[in-house]
Amino acid sequence: MMARPEPKSITFTIDGLEVEAPENAMLVDAAKLGDIEIPVFCYEPKLGNPVGACRMCLVEIEGIPKLQTGCSTPVKDGMVVHTQSERVRTAQQAVVEFLLINHPLDCPVCDKGGECPLQDITFGWGAGSSRFIEPKRHFVKPLELSPLIAIDRERCILCYRCVRFSQEIAEDYQLVLLERGAHSYVSTFDAHPYVAPFSGNIIELCPVGALTSRPYRFRARPWDIEGAGSVCTFCPSQCNVTLTVRDERVLRVLARDHAEVDDGWLCDKGRFAYQSIHVDERITEPLVRDGGELRAVPWERALQEAASALARARGKVAALAGGQSTNEEAFLLARLMREGLGSERIDTLAGVAPAKQHQLARPDLQAKVSDLEFADTVLVLGSEPVDDMPIVDLRIRKGVRRRRVKLALATSRPSSLDRNARLALRYSPGCEGAFLRALALALAGEDCQTPAQAAGAEGEQVRQLAELLRSGGSDVVILYGERMLAQGSAVEGLLRLASMLELSGRDGAGMLAVPAAGANGRGLLEAGFAPGYGPGLQPRPTASDQIDLTAAQLGAHAMAGGLSSGELSAVYLLHADPLESALPRAQWSHALAQASTVIAHASFLTEGVRDHATVVFPAQSYAEKEGTLVHPDGRLQRLRPAIGKQGQTRAEWSVICELAKRCGLDLGVLTGPMASKQLFEAVPFYAALTLEEIGGRGVRWQERDAAAGFPEPPPLEAEEPPAALPSPNGALRLGSFRSIWAATEVRVSPALQFLHPTQRVEMAPADAERLGLAHGETVRVSANDSSVTATVTLRDSTPAGSVFLEEGLGAHSANALAGAMVEVRKA
Amino acid sequence: MAWTPGEDVVEVVRAPAPGAAGGLYRSFGETLRGLKTTFARIIEGPVTIQYPEEKVPVYPRFRGRHKLHRFEDTGLEKCVGCSLCAAACPADCIRVVAAENTPDNRVSAGERYAAVYEINLSRCIFCGYCEVACPFDAITMGHEYELSDYSRTDLIFTKEMLLAEPLERTPLRKEGE
Ligand code: SF4
Ligand code: SF4
Ligand code: SF4
Ligand code: SF4
Ligand code: FES
Repeated sequence: MMARPEPKSITFTIDGLEVEAPENAMLVDAAKLGDIEIPVFCYEPKLGNPVGACRMCLVEIEGIPKLQTGCSTPVKDGMVVHTQSERVRTAQQAVVEFLLINHPLDCPVCDKGGECPLQDITFGWGAGSSRFIEPKRHFVKPLELSPLIAIDRERCILCYRCVRFSQEIAEDYQLVLLERGAHSYVSTFDAHPYVAPFSGNIIELCPVGALTSRPYRFRARPWDIEGAGSVCTFCPSQCNVTLTVRDERVLRVLARDHAEVDDGWLCDKGRFAYQSIHVDERITEPLVRDGGELRAVPWERALQEAASALARARGKVAALAGGQSTNEEAFLLARLMREGLGSERIDTLAGVAPAKQHQLARPDLQAKVSDLEFADTVLVLGSEPVDDMPIVDLRIRKGVRRRRVKLALATSRPSSLDRNARLALRYSPGCEGAFLRALALALAGEDCQTPAQAAGAEGEQVRQLAELLRSGGSDVVILYGERMLAQGSAVEGLLRLASMLELSGRDGAGMLAVPAAGANGRGLLEAGFAPGYGPGLQPRPTASDQIDLTAAQLGAHAMAGGLSSGELSAVYLLHADPLESALPRAQWSHALAQASTVIAHASFLTEGVRDHATVVFPAQSYAEKEGTLVHPDGRLQRLRPAIGKQGQTRAEWSVICELAKRCGLDLGVLTGPMASKQLFEAVPFYAALTLEEIGGRGVRWQERDAAAGFPEPPPLEAEEPPAALPSPNGALRLGSFRSIWAATEVRVSPALQFLHPTQRVEMAPADAERLGLAHGETVRVSANDSSVTATVTLRDSTPAGSVFLEEGLGAHSANALAGAMVEVRKA
Repeated sequence: MAWTPGEDVVEVVRAPAPGAAGGLYRSFGETLRGLKTTFARIIEGPVTIQYPEEKVPVYPRFRGRHKLHRFEDTGLEKCVGCSLCAAACPADCIRVVAAENTPDNRVSAGERYAAVYEINLSRCIFCGYCEVACPFDAITMGHEYELSDYSRTDLIFTKEMLLAEPLERTPLRKEGE
């Protein structure tokens, strides 16, 4: 089956010009190939099939008596089209006049002014005057459609774009057009605020100033601003963005369409959390703990303190990097640790052994983001895309809706994609390994009843899933949450699944990870920021005198132990706060308290930094940095500075180099690009890569010749079989998730604050009834002497016997609980 | 090798020599002719204007330093902070930062107002495009031309300065003057 058929090329005539175009392209698109512009309002290919609502695109086609809409008429061979005839011109002028009948024309106060298609089209295709002297229709304005979006109904031209987005792209089904005719207006149908993870996209879609951004409201005009292309680093989707900059401040984030990454959409976190760059909470000067308190100090003092502490801790220092670190930062810090300080103890916040990631990072198994849309079957395994990698959620929906992709979900927590899936299967939290074992049996046609039950899944459903995967077509894409790799035998299970479905080397099929380490999780691994792994996934020589520990002993979990026991004395946190991550909270809290030195690069005084850091370097935000990132599908993307450095921040690479120099190691990096160059030279499968080649669109290393340099993963170590389900004995199994809004950037951005979650415990109505709990009640969830407070949230589709708690919420996070079985009691 | 200009040679054209009589006329006649103008002006009296005590009246359409206006009845600012003047300005010397009117803080008649309105008069070329661009006649060119100052930063006029009446009025040329 050809996944993406190439359309054949035809020739048609437009305004006397012979133009070649792909067959069945819409006329407005085909006309562009002949440099002819047909004005449009409602047509937006990203929204799917055209609706022909605005009539702006009327053209004359020979042989058809009436004018036709260019946005919904496919070109055919030999078609003769006129866009400049008298009839067309009259029609265009009439449509513009009609659209302006009720339009307030308050351009001077309208935020769209200067970048408004209605202005442009009126200027280009309108008659220049109106005959309408009657009073116009009035609405109350401006209103809040949501705390993020202002709506001005008078300006709406009823193009349906926003409604189509809500109904057909985000599928949140909140926006509708109410009333009829000239009285139609856009609203949520119960007049509730339109709050959804992707709501901000309608601001960019609206061709007039009817929907405008509240945070950007009246901030600038198009001629006051500059656009700076970069990449969002708030989650692994790494959407391409254009930052709107005025007076060295980021004022807005717009999508920068990239079909292979974001498909032209952004989530609201990416769109509005830019505010965190310019808030007062941000750390903009170096801090040193002095008399128990963090005090602002000059750079020299901070560098001196950090360097001497590191030198003292030589060999007894560890480093953790967060997902927002660039490849270069991670690469240089790894060099500092290994070459300068004689320590191999570096890790990310993933909590997954890199050897396991290595097994699945093979280029032959790698799927691209766009494969999710064109595959035959997509299996989402152990991940909630809308929380973990939001833009991929839209991509999956698009595939299901427009290309009839068969979607299967296998997760422990109910997913927002359940309704779109052919099959939504549940297993118990933490039972991925066992579930995959059952699935493999089912795929082999064997009885899977007992193993399925061991995973808390229904045998029949596992069998159906196997059937769907086997017979649904050969292009299968598996989107898996990397965190499951921490489970016994999950890697083995995934590899077995891949080989049974023959995914290896198949174009348009494969696996795509949702990195556990955060936005640049893959880049950190490839840059060599992993225990036991150097740049380019090359194993560190274990025979070297520095290390005789296994990867597990070098990793994050052992690090906490080492710090607590005094075996390690210093820890270097690069954009990482273990207390905000999914790592076990109690251990890390104790570990940080025991560490004599905690050096952090941070933008905000998050708990771990505030309470434990001894030296804090102000970190750069993604709008200030340069460097590269790696998308989960292997695309290297470039961050480019959009604004000057804020306050006294300094580039992380330069701080690391400076510290290295003071510790007696010359890293040989004087500029950001020099760091990139060193990285590209160190990673065999990036060989000969340059920043120019990456450019604004990124490049997938798997598609370059150098990909052959990918080191073959060592044979899989036999893993302990999946742990048997602990007997419930009245207790509930704990699963955890991290909501899209549980992020520091969200908490400090004034516009998004209202979305920052509080802890809630999701449970099945049956369990709640058994425990006598009601929706909205405050409860204590406890496990082995640890407990958190939460609000009960009943979700019908939650499997009985499991509860789900959120992570990333400080003291009340799921990871504050020490144990997988919990009890829920009224508080 | 010497270069022969060939056809490129252009003859230098010289006026005929004036000769004795012509030379005499040049030395005295022309001088006297010039002096005629000089003496004729003497009887007109002095035309020097005693600036700054005395000022030249300007024409009504003279383009001097800008003024921002308020509505006379409500006292609200006419400027809504739309930045069109800034877009029109060829010298790029206007800076507008808009903000939203709230019921407690109503500054202009529209939804937005100019929180910051600055004109850098050291860059302004007094072309008047800003006045033409303004959809609300909120900015007009005034008559003040005495704009010198001791530092460049003092030439950045803020909204308050532009809204205020000028300290001293410039005399306006009367009809027929
Ligand atoms: S939507 Fe466009 S045409 Fe309408 S008021 Fe706003 S800027 Fe003017
Ligand atoms: S609000 Fe904007 S996008 Fe929505 S229908 Fe009206 S004009 Fe179209
Ligand atoms: S999906 Fe992720 S990368 Fe994309 S805009 Fe949202 S936070 Fe940023
Ligand atoms: S007069 Fe001309 S140069 Fe001066 S501010 Fe106005 S538009 Fe700019
Ligand atoms: S663009 Fe064709 S009808 Fe709207």
